[in-house]
Amino acid sequence: MAISPEYLGLLRSSISSAPEWKEAWERTNDYLDALRIPADLERELMLLTSFEQAIARKRKEPSTSATELAFDEAQKALDATLGNLISGKVPVDRRSVEERVRLYLIQPTQNSRLSPRSRLSDDVLEALREVRLEAHPRLQQAVIAPRPFALNTAGERLAALAGKFSFLGSNRILAWFLGLCFVGLLIYMSL
Amino acid sequence: MSGPGRSARLVELVGSTRLDEVFRRKVRQRRWGVTLVTLGVAAIGFWLFSDILGSTGWSPIKVLELAVFSVLFTTLSFGFTQAFVGFLVLAEGHEPLKITNTLDEKTPLASTAVVMPVFNEDVGTVFGNIRTLYRSLQNRGELEMFEFYILSDSTMPERLVEEEVAWADLCRQTNGFGRIHYRRRKVPVNRKSGNIADFCRRWGHRHRYMVVFDADSVMTGDSVASLVRLMEVNPRAGIIQTMPKLVGSETLFGRIQQFASRLYSPLFAAGLNYWQQGAGNYWGHNAIIRMSPFLASCSLPVLPGREPLGGRILSHDFVEAALMRDAGWEVWFAYDLEGSYEGLPPNLTEYIKRDRRWAQGNLQHVWFLLADRVQPISRLHLIQGILAYSSAPILVLFIFLGGIQAAIDHFRGHASSIPLASAIVLALLTLLLLFGPKGLSLLHLFSQPDLLRRFGGAKRALAGVVMETLFSILTAPLLVWFHTRFVLKNISGQKVVWNTQTRGAGAGPGWVQTLLEYWPVPVAGVFFGILAWWISPLYLLWITPLLLGLWLAIPIAQLSGRSAVLRKLFLTPEEIDPPRELSKSEPLQLRAGDQFVHAILDPFYNAIHVALQRRRARTPELSEHTAGLADKLFREGPAALTAEEKRALLSDGPALAKLHMLVWKTPAEKMNPFWVEALRAYRNEMPIPVGN
Repeated sequence: MAISPEYLGLLRSSISSAPEWKEAWERTNDYLDALRIPADLERELMLLTSFEQAIARKRKEPSTSATELAFDEAQKALDATLGNLISGKVPVDRRSVEERVRLYLIQPTQNSRLSPRSRLSDDVLEALREVRLEAHPRLQQAVIAPRPFALNTAGERLAALAGKFSFLGSNRILAWFLGLCFVGLLIYMSL
Repeated sequence: MSGPGRSARLVELVGSTRLDEVFRRKVRQRRWGVTLVTLGVAAIGFWLFSDILGSTGWSPIKVLELAVFSVLFTTLSFGFTQAFVGFLVLAEGHEPLKITNTLDEKTPLASTAVVMPVFNEDVGTVFGNIRTLYRSLQNRGELEMFEFYILSDSTMPERLVEEEVAWADLCRQTNGFGRIHYRRRKVPVNRKSGNIADFCRRWGHRHRYMVVFDADSVMTGDSVASLVRLMEVNPRAGIIQTMPKLVGSETLFGRIQQFASRLYSPLFAAGLNYWQQGAGNYWGHNAIIRMSPFLASCSLPVLPGREPLGGRILSHDFVEAALMRDAGWEVWFAYDLEGSYEGLPPNLTEYIKRDRRWAQGNLQHVWFLLADRVQPISRLHLIQGILAYSSAPILVLFIFLGGIQAAIDHFRGHASSIPLASAIVLALLTLLLLFGPKGLSLLHLFSQPDLLRRFGGAKRALAGVVMETLFSILTAPLLVWFHTRFVLKNISGQKVVWNTQTRGAGAGPGWVQTLLEYWPVPVAGVFFGILAWWISPLYLLWITPLLLGLWLAIPIAQLSGRSAVLRKLFLTPEEIDPPRELSKSEPLQLRAGDQFVHAILDPFYNAIHVALQRRRARTPELSEHTAGLADKLFREGPAALTAEEKRALLSDGPALAKLHMLVWKTPAEKMNPFWVEALRAYRNEMPIPVGN
């Protein structure tokens, strides 16, 4: 169905005149900005169509907020637009996440000319559908078992000796007392 | 025979059965040489000091003092000998026995993992450093054989979100998906060494080598490719350690350390390689490791007893080198391989904090001195590591014994009867051992006009050395104070907390914080000063250089973190003309502000995080718990959740995806004001307000 410019103008003015719908318009627009979708005519048309649907739904669901309705409809429109980027096997509750991942991957970077608006070749689309964001490769496991720690003969003797004096470590007052006695004795013997 | 002539002779020997024999004999000779010089100088010191002590008769205190002096003076002598030998090696201009002589650019590369264990580190630095190496290898056309692993043990919720997005962004920028990997452990068992061990368990059979990075390590593609080639042509090498140059400091303390390290290290490094050869050490980063022997032999044992001195090993590197040596593999030091860099703590406080961790780690190595099957040279490395911190309490003991003896001598009127000649010679010898390496380094620098120019010229280099010496004289007593505290605390059973190291500039502590941390130091300094005065004004004068550092502890610590001080001094070649790899030309596209909030608000952050969560069935109880957390977060804002709760919520991808939608589609009047404000800030491209 062709939409006339007069109809679009009317729709826009009614959205901006109702505070509830104005907030919904701003919020949905912000979301599309966050998705870095260029603010062009195509986006404007998609938004207006979403709002038309949302306004129609509002009559049936008066208790649902305009923002929620508009956002849901915009999300449906996004699903329809970005649906070709993901595999049909993706579960419904996962579609938005997978769409956003792909949208992120085709954002222009210093070294990439891809963009959401660029015409993607069939090969790229195919590759995008198969993409699965994996942060690490498949496991190629190895065994790494610590070797037991073993003291040599001198070490064992020393450890045994240290064990005999371990009571000093557990009683600080006694340790200080014995230490000071030792220093005192040392001084006395050196006088 | 000239240097190149000797080298040619060695090349002739390659492949012959005599090479091994000649090499072993040569190394034996070198080690004996270094031992004899070290012990010879130490013996002179011992003789002079015993002459001084014995002049007024012997006592138990004096015997103990002489024993302690011997330990300290031998350590000093060993350091000087190493620097002196290094000076001779560098002055001659050719070292036939170094691993880099075997480098052949035509050697094919082998599959290598570049691993970077991180713990709540600055994300820009971590991923920037990985990108530097990635690009460098790409430019050389040698990327094919390398894979990169960022191994995260991060616990801060906002940091782990940021790491994930940084990983995705880096992969997107470099087209590095499938080559740059990111793995986060949920439970950071056994810290850094556990992190590496976990990598080995997961992907140990995927690569022939791994190059280990620290979070602030930077290496060029040239240096990493050279390390792989060196491994390939030296099949007995288990580890090759490079000599990282300190770079990137902006603060006074950092720049002084950077300057000192850049100027003095080459001598020590050349001297170290001279005697250790294939029995070298591993410093935990900027090194390459052969995977198969590492997997087979280098898993760390659990030490007898409990932490701090027993239990799990904190400082793994020295031990891994010892285990590698014990398994019959060589550990080499490629000290002259260019293109290896690292950062350093920005101020004295951060440096001391790092030392606290290292002190405990090194003290644990005492067990290995008494362990079975540890090679003698490995024991020597371990002793050096232990003495790096325990020499402080030994020095304090020496001063304490000296103080008691001075008091006894003073009250018995013996002070003036010491042999002056021996005292003067000993003082001069000590000064030579302490400052000789600095002088030799300057001499070496002045013999290279091009390098001297890259240090800012003769006047600046000289002034830099003078100022650095003054600074080290002032900071040495402070380090002695803290090292002594750390060692005594560890011995008495108190362990350290594993904190993230602050690496960047601009982290200088304020006056109040400095005052709170350092106030006991000047108080103790004043007390010791009064005590020394009471013993004898001459004794106070004698120990004033030591006390000065304690008295001025607070201004020194404060000054150390300043950036705009003495900018014309302490210049290094890397500061004047930074290598291309050290300039950050491609910043990551990350949003400023609270990254945890971004994981909920930003559609891309949210999608990346959710997509990276493992898809597994969650128990109803767990799902209920995280749904409750999501609800609490939505109703009350991020401040209502603890870090642990945030982590729990982040682990539930579906709950986070739902929360993302919920925040965006809820009208302002039905939402917590935090989210309204966050969305407004988001719209205006402002940083998101911090959630807690």
